[in-house]
This record gives sequence, structure tokens and C-alpha cells, in this order.
Amino acid sequence: MNRRKIEENIFRCFMVLSTFMVVGSLALILVTIFLKGFPALNLDMLIKTPKGGYYIGKEGGILNAILGSIILGIGATFLALIVSLPLVFYLNLYVRKKSKFALIVRFFLDVLWGIPSIVYGAFGFTLMIFFGLRASLLAAMITVALLIIPIMARSMDEVLKMIPFELKEASFALGSTRLETAVKVIFKQALPGIITSILIAFGRGIGDAAAVLFTASFTDSLPYSLFKPVATLPLAIFFQLGTPFPEVQERGYASALVLTGIIFLISIVSRILSKKFSKRIIK
Amino acid sequence: MECKTHISVRDLSVFYGGAQVLNNISIDIPDKKLTAIIGPSGCGKTTLLKSLNRIIDLQDGVRVSGQVFVDGEDIYDPKVEVTHLRKKMGLLLQRPQILPMSIYENVVYGPRIHGVRNKKKLDGLVQCYLKVSGLWNEVKDRLHSPATRLSIGQQQRLCLARGLAVEPEVILGDEPTSALDPISAERIEQRLLELKSQYTVVLVTHNLRQAKRLADYVIFLYLGNLIEHGPTEQILKNPKYVKTQNYINGEFIEELTIDKELNLKATVCPDNFAKAKLALEELKHGQVLKIVVDYEVAVNEVPKAMEFEGHKVLEIKRINQKDWEILIQKRNGVYTI
Amino acid sequence: MNTRKFKDVVAQKIMFLLCIFVVSLAFLIIFGLYHRSMPILAEKNLKDILFSAIWHPAQGQFGLAGFIVGTLWVIGIATILAVPLSILTATYLSEYSHRRIREYIKPIIDLLAGISPVIYGVWGVVAIVPFVRDYLMPFLSEKMPFFPFASDNYTGFAAITGGIVLAVMICPLMISIIGEVIRNVPFEAREASLALGATRWQTVKYVVFKKSWPGIIAAIILGLSRAFGETIAVLMVAGCALNFFPKSIFDPAYPLPALIANTYGEMMSIPLYDAAVLLAAFILLIVSILFNIVGWGILLRIERSQS
Repeated sequence: MNRRKIEENIFRCFMVLSTFMVVGSLALILVTIFLKGFPALNLDMLIKTPKGGYYIGKEGGILNAILGSIILGIGATFLALIVSLPLVFYLNLYVRKKSKFALIVRFFLDVLWGIPSIVYGAFGFTLMIFFGLRASLLAAMITVALLIIPIMARSMDEVLKMIPFELKEASFALGSTRLETAVKVIFKQALPGIITSILIAFGRGIGDAAAVLFTASFTDSLPYSLFKPVATLPLAIFFQLGTPFPEVQERGYASALVLTGIIFLISIVSRILSKKFSKRIIK
Repeated sequence: MECKTHISVRDLSVFYGGAQVLNNISIDIPDKKLTAIIGPSGCGKTTLLKSLNRIIDLQDGVRVSGQVFVDGEDIYDPKVEVTHLRKKMGLLLQRPQILPMSIYENVVYGPRIHGVRNKKKLDGLVQCYLKVSGLWNEVKDRLHSPATRLSIGQQQRLCLARGLAVEPEVILGDEPTSALDPISAERIEQRLLELKSQYTVVLVTHNLRQAKRLADYVIFLYLGNLIEHGPTEQILKNPKYVKTQNYINGEFIEELTIDKELNLKATVCPDNFAKAKLALEELKHGQVLKIVVDYEVAVNEVPKAMEFEGHKVLEIKRINQKDWEILIQKRNGVYTI
Repeated sequence: MNTRKFKDVVAQKIMFLLCIFVVSLAFLIIFGLYHRSMPILAEKNLKDILFSAIWHPAQGQFGLAGFIVGTLWVIGIATILAVPLSILTATYLSEYSHRRIREYIKPIIDLLAGISPVIYGVWGVVAIVPFVRDYLMPFLSEKMPFFPFASDNYTGFAAITGGIVLAVMICPLMISIIGEVIRNVPFEAREASLALGATRWQTVKYVVFKKSWPGIIAAIILGLSRAFGETIAVLMVAGCALNFFPKSIFDPAYPLPALIANTYGEMMSIPLYDAAVLLAAFILLIVSILFNIVGWGILLRIERSQS
């Protein structure tokens, strides 16, 4: 037919193609990790810590890294939560809607959100030196918490912005203070969204390697003290892949499968939770 | 009144998700006449209008059944090239939608996308259709400035010129004057009256006086059903059905008895407000005051001020070159803002 | 004053302090990194560091030019690949696709954004490196042995590999921002164009893009900034050759973040080494802050002009 019809079809093809490429790359990643990792995965990997010579192919597992990552992730998420939750309540309940202050805080959150994790790592490192800390679980927790505060706060803010204004008004009208409104009304309403935000931040925290490179160091033992180095899954993958021994690299793939599995699980759980909770919400 | 049919709608039903918005509409829209679609809000007026050029397809979850024949061709046939169909129909929306470009570019947008490249021809089109829409004299010196700088009334006339520039056969208007001030609205009405000799015009309006002023033919919809249609005189004066009667009686009084007249010609702004207000105070609830004013600010501002006072503005009409007639109905005590 | 009111006021004060903390965090990071990179700035000229290519910490040579050029190659390639991909995908999802398809694809893209950078790195090593080594490089480098393709690095660990992996990593962010910007163009603007008989693509090209280009630019800037700071994945696949200027997409590249990550173990051992590395982090910080200010600034302006 005519030119514009042809142009329309060409671009439609391009669009479908690029959508397929983006979606396909996710499938490709998952398939690759699964195909490479699954054959190397065994129970020993999940329940043992690295024994001597693990990194040249001797026996052992990555339990240290799995536990380390989970503890680090939970700690950092908790720290980030105590900062983010009050912060977003303040922005949505305590200041006027068009407040300059809220605008500035939100803008800073955006900018902090864009700072690369390696920079947070380097900053965590300077903090460590300043306080005379050594690379440890605590230092890593603080660094990762700083990294995920903007992620968590921004998504919680989006959630709270969606809460209908009438609900706040209704609560104020009953004579509640703003704090009571926040805790008893808004928090309950926004809970599914808040949980999703927490899980997103947790997933990001558990998966990040660059921020913990300086601050967590690495260890072959299980995490037992806040002030001792801790192993993390991303770094375990990174190191195992960096060795020249095929057996160790295989285990690296298996570890990658474990990490992907954890992140996949988090994503699914957050989706289910938010669906389940949202039934109780006034829309 | 015998006339050729241009658009013929057969058993048209439209569903949004599960809800049926239009229910088995069958109607013929006459060629080169102005047809008004009236009815209470939410009755499917706009849906009917937008299903005529398949703009309705754009909404998610819409399902259309039935047929619409334009020039004898069913537009819901999958083989129909929808862009050609839409080219045949100019659309005027409630709020003028200016494309993000200059005045000139706005007018030539349509011809360009349909393949007209010749600069001379495009220039000619711009001049021709801006003249038709009565905008030429106001913008001829700034054709290349952004169209967003025009006033909203000018923007609507630009939209009209833009729609005409693709040389359509039909003009569809979705309450095109409802967002405009009285003077701009009157200009659009004038254009539509002139255009109906060359184009088939279909107009959605909630304003029965406007329908009476402009339309040859009226379609009355009620909750998605076609209740009644026919020549304007017949529908507005002798509706057959109770629903039409009720709607028409509730919305509009056919023969207004003017209870008081006030000449506010040559009276300036705060003064004419005060006089109109005083005059209204002397009237009883429901009585009608007629005011005659003679300059633009008053035409726009006096009705606004009286509405602010809680009265109802029934009609704003140009009566000659300079003078405008405003009919206001007195309302007691109810402040509706 | 009763206890309820008291609690409310105390909570307000604490919340306010947390806000101040977040705002000051940005300045704290800037100050902390600047402070720690002072020693090298006191001894050497910033210009020398930025434009010298020789990196030899043991001899006190800290030229960052090689890393900066490496960064530019990698993010250049990533941008060229990711920008069209993201714009087309976002346009497809918001203008063409059925709402149900959009609802299926959205969580996939979210998941793509949530995958750990290390996983991207593993995928790069396992899938993209062999692809570049066995298919792309023989195909391009031998057929077209000139400027951006000619290279004698046959390992597959190259700037293009980093670029491909990065492109996939920044796509989700750009798609979601561009999609949002495009969806904010009022429906009536499309309606006006389509009613004139324009095709979908003409409407997108002349109306939607024209109304949303500042937002699209902002999305690209934010995507660039994301690419700029990405560390581990790029480190794993880009080759990382010291004291080397990549001259081809198949040459190894050593971007700044990779440098910082690679030196974490040794940097306290040599004087000024840590300062040089933290200077690199400082540069990274300043550039990403600038990009983010511009990007979010544009989006904020758009948002405010709409409300």
C-alpha cells in the first residue's frame, strides 16, 4: 500500500522486536543461569562452609555467603526502614501538600537514588576509616542501608501518595493526632505497598556487590559477630568465577543460581503479599 | 423533510468492559445538515459521536457491535482503512487540542500526513481554512508562532481549520463550545452554521438552546437508548415520548416570558453588575430578566457574575452587529458555585 | 499539653531530623570522598591526573585518562544499544500493546531491574563473551577491519561485551521512565491527531514524541548515569587492561568503577593510592549527581507543569 502504511508496519515490527529482545534477555539470563548452575548445584553447597582448598576445587559449600547475605540484607533493610518509614510519613502527613521542604527532600532522595553503589562502598570505606572500624558486618550493614534508603523511601512515598486524601481527613476529623493517623490508619492502608517496598529494597541490598566490596570483606566462617568480616553471596560468585579452576567456576554458577532463586522468590512473595493484602484495602 | 442520508447507523451497541453504553441504536444522519445529539449527561452522546469515526477504538476494553455505513460502506468492516475514514471526518473536542507546533504547522499537519508536500499548496490551504474558520485576520502575521499562545477560543477555531484542512465530508463536534466564553462560542456557532451547507455536521450538545439555534435535526438519547429523533422543531416543540418531554421541560423553556428588560448598553463593568443585580432582586424565583449589553467584556463577565450570585444564565445571544442579549433566570437563595 | 499531643510533637521532631539526615547525607558523601581524595589533589594537578594515561601506583603515577576513555567506550556502546531499544519498547507498551500484554510485561521488566549486577556479570561471562568472541567479532572485525571494529583482542572480554551487558541493565529503568512520560501525554492530543486520519506511528512521531521529548532526554540521562556507575557486571566482562586506550569496540576497556572495585585490597599499601582511588570515586559521584540533578530536574518540571 502507500508509504505511511509501510512506515507504520516497519516501526510496529521494530517495536515488537525490541520488546521481545528486552523480555527475551530476561528469559535468556534465567535460562543461562539455570542451565549452567543446576548441574553444579548440590546439597553440600547449601549446608557447608568452605573447607581448606575450596577455592582450588576441594570440598565445601557457600553456606557462609548465603547466611551472611541474608543477615546483612535483613540488618540493612531494618536500618533503612527505621529511617525511611518515618521520613515518608513526615512527607505525606506532616507537611503541606505543596511544601517546598518536601520537594527538596524528595529531590535529594532522587539524587541519592542515582548515586552508584560503588560510591556508597567508597563512602562506607571513608566512614570506616573515620570511626576506626575494620571491614565488618556492621560496616557493611550501614553502607548497604545508606544505599537502599533512597530505594525504599521513594517507593514507599509513591505508595503513600496513593492513599486517598479523604482517609487522612476522616481520621483527623475524629480528633486523631497526625501520629495516630499515621500509625493506625495510613500504615494499615499502605501495608501491602510498604511490604513490597521493603522487599524491593531487601532484594537490592542482598544482590549488591560493589557496596560491600570495601566494607564487608570476606570470610570463610559463618557470620557470628557484628564486628567481624562477613561473606556475601555476590562476592562469593565474583571470587569463584575469578578463579582459573573449572570446578570452582561451576560452583560459581551454582551460587549464581542460588542468588537468582532468592531474588526471584522475593519478587514473587512481594507480588503475592501485595495481592493478598490489597483485598482489605478501601480502593 | 426529505433528504439524502450520509451516515447510517444500524443496531449499534457499545460496551465498556461489562457495561453497555449504547443499546441497539439505528439512525440515519442526513447529508449536508446539522444534526444535534442531545440528552442528559452520561447517556452516551459522546460515545455515539466517537463511534462514527472509530476514535472510540482507542479506549481500552471497548467492544462495538452493529454497523455504521458512511457513504454506503460499513466502517466496522475489518477491511476498512481507518485512517481514510477518519480523514473524512473532522473532530472538534470539548477542549481544543492544539498539537505541539506552530499555528501554520497545526493547519498543515493533516494535509502533510496525507502526503501533500507542495509548499505553495500548503500555504494556500492555510490561508483558505484559517479564513473559513475566521481566524486569518487575527493570526496572519504570526503564523509561525506556537499555537499554544492563542486564546482558548482562537485555539478552537484553529482546531476547526485543522480539521477542515484534510477536506473532510463530515464535521463531528463534541460540545465544542462548552469550554469557551460566550463570544468565542458564538463565533464557532456562526462557522458551523455557514459550514452546514457544504458539510454534514454532527454536534453533541447539552445546551438545548444551542440545538435549537443550530440544528436541523435532533437525536435524543437516554441511558444509551435512542428515544426519539426528528426535525428540530418537532422534537423540541412536540416530543412524542414522556422521557423527551421531561428532559426538555427540565432543561429549557420553549417560549420564555421575559419578566423584566434592562438595557445596559454603554454601561461599564462594576456598574452593569450592580444594575443587573438590583434588577434581579426585584424579581421572584424563576422569573426571567433580559439584559442587553454591547461590548465584549460585559458579554463575558456579566453572566459569570450573575451565575456566581446563584442565578441561572439561560441564553447568551448576539442580536445584531454590536448588541448581545443575555437571559438570566432568578434563583432564590441557592448558591451553586 | 497532653501525652498524645506530646508524642505527636516528639515524633514530628524526630521525623524532621530524619529528613535533614537524608538531605545532609548527599553532602556528607560529597564531603567525605572529597576529604579523602585531598592528599592527591594537594600533590598533583587535577588536570594532570585526568589527562595522563599512565597508571602505575608503585611509581606514584595516577593517570585516570585510560579509565575515563574506557568508561566512555562502554557507556557509549550501551547507550547506542539501549536508547532505541528502550524508546521502541516503551512506545510499544504504552501506545500499541493491549493493556493485558502491558500488565504481563511490566513485572518482567521490574524483575529485570531487580536482578543482581553479579548475575548480569555471570550471564555476560557465560553467554555474551562467547557470543562476541565466536560470532560478533569474526563477523564484524574481519569483514570491516577499520576504525571501530579492527582489533587484535580475540578473548571476547571487550568494551562491546560490557556495553551489551550494561545496555540490558539500564533498559528497565529507561523503559519505565519513558513509558511514564509517554503515558502522561494527554489522550486528547492523540485523539486530535488520529481524528485527522494520521496513522498510529505518525501520531507517535509528530505528537507524542514532540510533547514528551524532554522526558525522554531525562530518561536517557538517568540511564547514562546508571551505566556510568555500574561496577561488578562490567568489571567481569569488559576485559580491564591497564594503561591501554581502547581504539575499537573489541578492545578491552577498563572503566572507572571497575578500577575502584579492583583495588579495594591493595589501596592502603602504597601512599596516595587510596586517595587516587577515592578521587576516582569522587569523580564518579560528582558526575552521577550532576546527571541525576539534570534528569530528575527535567522530570520534576514536567510534573509540575502538568499539575
